[in-house]
Amino acid sequence: VAPALNTPPEHVEEWEGEDVTLRDVERALCRLREVAAEETEGPDLRTSVMTHLAWVPDEWHEAAMETLAGLGERHPSRGIVLSPEADAPDGVDAKVSILTFPLKKQRRHVAAEVIELRLRGRLAQAPASIVTPLLVVDLPVFLRWRGRPSFGAPEVEQLVDVCDRLVVDSREWPDVPHAYGELPFDRAACSDIAWRRTEPWRVALADLWPGIAELRELAVEGPRCEAMLLAGWLRSRIGRDVKLEHREAVQLERISVDGEEVPHPPGDPPSGSELLSAELDQFGRDPVYEEAAREAMA
Amino acid sequence: MTEVAENPLLEGLRPRRAPEPCVLVVFGASGDLTRRKIFPALYALAHRRLLPEQFAVVGVARTESTDDEFRDRMEHAVREFGRDDLKQDVWDWLAQGTRYLAADFAEEGAEDRLVALLTELDEERGTRGNRVYYLAIPPQMMPTGVEMIGKHRTSDGWTRLIVEKPFGHDLESARRLTELISSDFTEEEVFRIDHYLGKETVQNMLALRFANGIFEPIWNRQFIDHVQITVAESIGIEGRAAFYEQAGAIRDIFQNHMLQLVALTAMEPPIDFTADSVRNEKVKVMKAIHTPGPKHVVRGQYGLGFVEGKEVPGYRDEEGVAPDSMTETFVAAKLFVDNWRWADTPFYVRTGKRLARRETTIAIQFQRAPHPPFEETATEELRPNLLLVGVQPDEGVSLAIAAKVPGQGMRLRTVHMDFLYGGAFRTELPEAYERLLLDAMLGDQTLFTRSDEVEEQWAIVDAIVAPWRRDRPSFPNYAAGTWGPAAADELIRRDGREWLRH
Repeated sequence: VAPALNTPPEHVEEWEGEDVTLRDVERALCRLREVAAEETEGPDLRTSVMTHLAWVPDEWHEAAMETLAGLGERHPSRGIVLSPEADAPDGVDAKVSILTFPLKKQRRHVAAEVIELRLRGRLAQAPASIVTPLLVVDLPVFLRWRGRPSFGAPEVEQLVDVCDRLVVDSREWPDVPHAYGELPFDRAACSDIAWRRTEPWRVALADLWPGIAELRELAVEGPRCEAMLLAGWLRSRIGRDVKLEHREAVQLERISVDGEEVPHPPGDPPSGSELLSAELDQFGRDPVYEEAAREAMA
Repeated sequence: MTEVAENPLLEGLRPRRAPEPCVLVVFGASGDLTRRKIFPALYALAHRRLLPEQFAVVGVARTESTDDEFRDRMEHAVREFGRDDLKQDVWDWLAQGTRYLAADFAEEGAEDRLVALLTELDEERGTRGNRVYYLAIPPQMMPTGVEMIGKHRTSDGWTRLIVEKPFGHDLESARRLTELISSDFTEEEVFRIDHYLGKETVQNMLALRFANGIFEPIWNRQFIDHVQITVAESIGIEGRAAFYEQAGAIRDIFQNHMLQLVALTAMEPPIDFTADSVRNEKVKVMKAIHTPGPKHVVRGQYGLGFVEGKEVPGYRDEEGVAPDSMTETFVAAKLFVDNWRWADTPFYVRTGKRLARRETTIAIQFQRAPHPPFEETATEELRPNLLLVGVQPDEGVSLAIAAKVPGQGMRLRTVHMDFLYGGAFRTELPEAYERLLLDAMLGDQTLFTRSDEVEEQWAIVDAIVAPWRRDRPSFPNYAAGTWGPAAADELIRRDGREWLRH
């Protein structure tokens, strides 16, 4: 109901190092916390809701940091951004930041921690051993994987084992619907930002029930993955074979069922930060998505 | 569940709390409540697309004004008191369905004009005869308003009645009002507002108690020494002398907000979160509250003093207040809830105006550890465990625990573990009126008080004020900007306890 606050951090403390150890990172975190508390004249609250891991190959770096900037305040937990650089000499470079956000009507601040790690050389294939000591104890771990994960590759398998929830965006995948078949539903709760984008349209389609109980054909103008997921969702929910007619567009623009246009949902499409934020608010498996993804391949 | 079973497409979608089309009719639209609370709340709901698409608001008051003038005033009010920046397209949508009717219902023809306007809006806005009437009017006008609405209720659509406090001024008048209302409306159509129940942190009390396995087993007389509830205001009567002279602190705060906080703290777990289950449990608490004798109640009235560095007048010098007024601006009491869970566990409550600061807290003071194996000097700064629920302004929960002071030897000190609402959930908390207006449109009565609840509250108040008619305390008896009269400190001190330190 309530929108997230949207104020910039009042204070940022940073530390950077090359060829660092995890102990260096932990020391830096402690020191920055103390400095930030002094600078903001009061103890900062470390809000512990989760650890947010992000696997961000170089080509996604800019987009990922933009999304994270919008998230810092909404989910002020520990964020760990992993950037792999397999071709470089072995080692870890780190940048640690403490972002402090003012609490309304109070002197205290809430602090978010962001640890950016560049995993060079062979370390890019052993991310779990680096990440595990940095996880906040006994809290859920969300892993946002940028781009198409190579399921079966050691870095993917290790991080899937570490996380409670894997968050992907199948819009970033070139090979849907085939790729849905590789999602590790049995090992971690999986969520897909592309699926979240279809939500307003799913609400609009649900409003048409029972008129669409006998639906035969769905026409979607929008990204391929979202069209596939919507068709998969309808197939799985109403138990019928639904034929999909797809026209590519950047956003979900238009949907028709058996030739009848569905009213466009109200409101602007949510931002990347808002979409990821919604995923981070969700715990546990999403069986409706899992069925939709399976049926998308039908 | 039934809805999902009927419509398989709803499974997994977040349930929408979308009200049906309706017209909200606000009686008392020229008042402060409409400006400060109702319209800012309506705008916040519109901003979040929580109002129905087919929606209209009619402001009704005696003051002459046009639709446009009313809309202008409300736009300014939203800009001044709203929690969101005003987005012109959202406001335009709300304003388009906003009308004003200058009417005195003692005059002939006024009722017909309202009926005609509502019928017109049904056609124009598609509101289908559904009505929410909000009675933000003085108590003496309540019977006229209720009768008029009852007489003209539509046969199409539903009708709901939101009634602002005070709901009567004693048990007898509350019963009369209930009788009057029930001649035209069922209990399911009546929504008695106590805006405290719409506050997120008040509702969080239910989450804290009934969603955490660690608290409920110790939430009883065996582990809790006593409970303190403070509803303190630093402001004075803010120009409401006519109301306050009649009401005083006991009817303004104690009868409603305070007793609701007691009920939420003391109630048994409801079997579910439906309106009647929750209210049944609250009523049981009200019935079990032991009527305190006169020596367990302290009343006070503020005199001249300083609040936040500014000199402020005494109550008797406020505009509209009688120079010899005996109205209390402070009440403290020691209550008991006579049941198995709480027998002999005191609930110390206090509320007042012009106190040292604005603060509403529920403090659960646990019993001391039975035999701490430390030297006495090590524990001299140690206080018993305390769970502090901050309702306003610092919304959150704080648990006071003992910790070792770093260094040689064993010295212990009390430290606070804080959960601040704003720290964990970085969203603006919705205003109480947003939640309550939306609930009324949805027909959800969980956060509204039921007639038997209100009557139990008045029965407690009547018993407290009965002896007041016989004595005349020496007022004023506390300086503005303090924590109330010395007798309030004495009330708790004679039990070997202290009010929470501030």
